[in-house]
Amino acid sequence: MILRSVIMVVVVVVVGILSSASQALRFELQSGHTKCISEDIKSNSMTVGKYHVVNPNEAYPLPDSLKFAVRVTSPQGNSLHTAEKVETGQFAFTAAEDGDYMACFWAEDHSPQIIMTVDFDWRSGVQAMDWSNVAKKGQVDVMELELKKLYDTVTSIHEEMFYLREREEEMQALNQATTSKMFWLSFLSLFLCLSVAGIQFWHLKTFFEKKKLI
Amino acid sequence: MERKWRKISGLIGLLLLNFMNNVSSLSLTITKVECVYEIVRFEGDIVSGNFVVVDHHIFWSSDHPGIDFSITSPGGDILHNLKGTSGDKFSFKAPRSGLYQFCFHNPLSTPETIALYIHIGHIPNEHNLAKNEHVDPINVKIAELREALEAVTTEQKYLKARDAVHRRTNESTKKRVIGYTVGEYILLTIASVLQVVYIRRLFSKSVGYNRI
Repeated sequence: MILRSVIMVVVVVVVGILSSASQALRFELQSGHTKCISEDIKSNSMTVGKYHVVNPNEAYPLPDSLKFAVRVTSPQGNSLHTAEKVETGQFAFTAAEDGDYMACFWAEDHSPQIIMTVDFDWRSGVQAMDWSNVAKKGQVDVMELELKKLYDTVTSIHEEMFYLREREEEMQALNQATTSKMFWLSFLSLFLCLSVAGIQFWHLKTFFEKKKLI
Repeated sequence: MERKWRKISGLIGLLLLNFMNNVSSLSLTITKVECVYEIVRFEGDIVSGNFVVVDHHIFWSSDHPGIDFSITSPGGDILHNLKGTSGDKFSFKAPRSGLYQFCFHNPLSTPETIALYIHIGHIPNEHNLAKNEHVDPINVKIAELREALEAVTTEQKYLKARDAVHRRTNESTKKRVIGYTVGEYILLTIASVLQVVYIRRLFSKSVGYNRI
């Protein structure tokens, strides 16, 4: 049991490859275990995350033992947000670089093993904008808001197509490089084979001549 | 990227996806069975999605049976059942509202990583509103437009995941080509050196021994 609590059971959940992915998910966190969620975020995009423990009994207040620690790290490993022994919280930041940002949750060991349900809402890109604020500011009506959202979705689709195109180009270059490498390597192996055979032949010839067998 | 896939040990908890937004994209690591839940709020919603097996174990051994995937409705009937796949798309109209279960089963014991994307699309219609409310046709059109765009997004996620898998295959092919070729050269050289040494040893005693 101790070993199990020492070994971090990390369920790595990579959420969303698209920068405008959004998720609100619930997962179960066992005491003594760790669960990590990571998301691929593009640089210069806003990210907002909210987490809280789900109360198993609606009628009663939350018991003290249902607390966990959280840490959000950048792809470089810098810690962007940490919290210890909390049951709710939130974080927001603008991604400085492209890459996988990871949010890890761990619950301390407890003698009867507790399994708590953590509700985690992590939005980045388009979904991170607080739409209610935008509505109040510009006094736009709901339909215009919806159309604005659609426009942003279309823009992100367009950007994603560019990204996919770039990746395809890189893959083509990679395959070309592999083909040409194989071509040259096959010549090299032929040359190596012949030279090894030649060296063997020459060496044995001089050896036998020295031994006066030839 | 590699560090993510390496940190796997032991049990994997269930992820209960709360249907607060109607998209959820994540990747799971399965050792045996892994289930993901989504709540569908309205009957008649279109649930669409795709999954791709990302882990490299599946192409290392060509006789890997693949991953089994099934979708179960809240009533208990199995809506979709795929055996031995390495990725697929799915789409269905929810016959009733409730908790839908998306389950993966891994027949082998090596952990596999799967990138999953689920989208639940709802278009408002007359059935879901109270009696005195009225659906504006333009809202319906906007909802249809949004669903069409979400379909494009779903497809893009699938393409992106497949592109990542192909990239991994190609990079590992390149590494293997170079690795095996250099290994082959070294082996050839060693073999020829050993040959020469052995022949020399055969002839090193004087010929009079007649050992050959």
